[in-house]
Amino acid sequence: MAYERLRLCTGRAAFEAIPTPKLALDLGAARRRIEAEGIEVVDARVMLIFRLEAEVTLGRDGRVLIKTSDPFLADAAFHRLDRLLGLSAERPPGAPGGS
Amino acid sequence: MLMSGGIDSPVALDRLLRQGHDLLAVHLDNRPFTDETPLAKVVDHLEVLSKRHGRRIPLYVLPHGPTQIALMRGTDRHVGCVLCRRFMWRTAERIAEREGASFLATGESLGQVASQTLTNMRSATAAVRLPIVRPLIGFDKIEIERDAKAIGTYEISTRPGLCCQAVPDRPATRSSLVQILREEERIDVDEIVERCLRQATLYPA
Repeated sequence: MAYERLRLCTGRAAFEAIPTPKLALDLGAARRRIEAEGIEVVDARVMLIFRLEAEVTLGRDGRVLIKTSDPFLADAAFHRLDRLLGLSAERPPGAPGGS
Repeated sequence: MLMSGGIDSPVALDRLLRQGHDLLAVHLDNRPFTDETPLAKVVDHLEVLSKRHGRRIPLYVLPHGPTQIALMRGTDRHVGCVLCRRFMWRTAERIAEREGASFLATGESLGQVASQTLTNMRSATAAVRLPIVRPLIGFDKIEIERDAKAIGTYEISTRPGLCCQAVPDRPATRSSLVQILREEERIDVDEIVERCLRQATLYPA
């Protein structure tokens, strides 16, 4: 399990989940998977931004930022994203079976 | 005057207003790399300072998110903060020229963040010709916070808000202008600036 828990950012306006160790996601594949759900994605090469239950930023290193101060909404968005992309099953680069 | 929604820029603006300058505010709206809170804070800062000084402070809002996307896609992320800053200065200078302003101003003080080292400031401001006024350049954070509390902008600045997500993991603290110019050769600088200016919105205070 790469992600432990969502935590409130220092600015108190968003929740973040950071995998330990960092991942090396294929953002192109992630974008296609999200768009297949009919969700519009802003592709900034090193991160994707899209709206689930709240606006989400997904970094190439697996960092997830969810722009809401509502913990329930953040939790719902994170779990939806996890179901969509299988983030929790991702392996860090160099790990057996990892990318 | 570049306004970010943070603690420093309203303090710098207050100092210039006290000296009797006529100023207009420029905010680079960084969505989707932040949320709507910085813009809301800037609007509230200007309301407080307009009342305090008994004069209107017009606000230009410029979309900076598309610029950030172009930088992320086309340039080295390591120097992203300096490149970002150069585009802020460029668009602010164009607004200043449009409005007949004779200088640009910010709340920068030396060494606070990656974009505010002396070498990075130099690389960033080489993008513009107008003089840049930095009323807080030698202040430390405690002095700035004290002033912000005194003028009534501190509470606004410290409301919940999202930091810029476009900041790279390890931003360069020393950048050479040669390196910066080389990075800018990889993108269409003029088109990015023009696109930003075409979407400028002016809010009378």
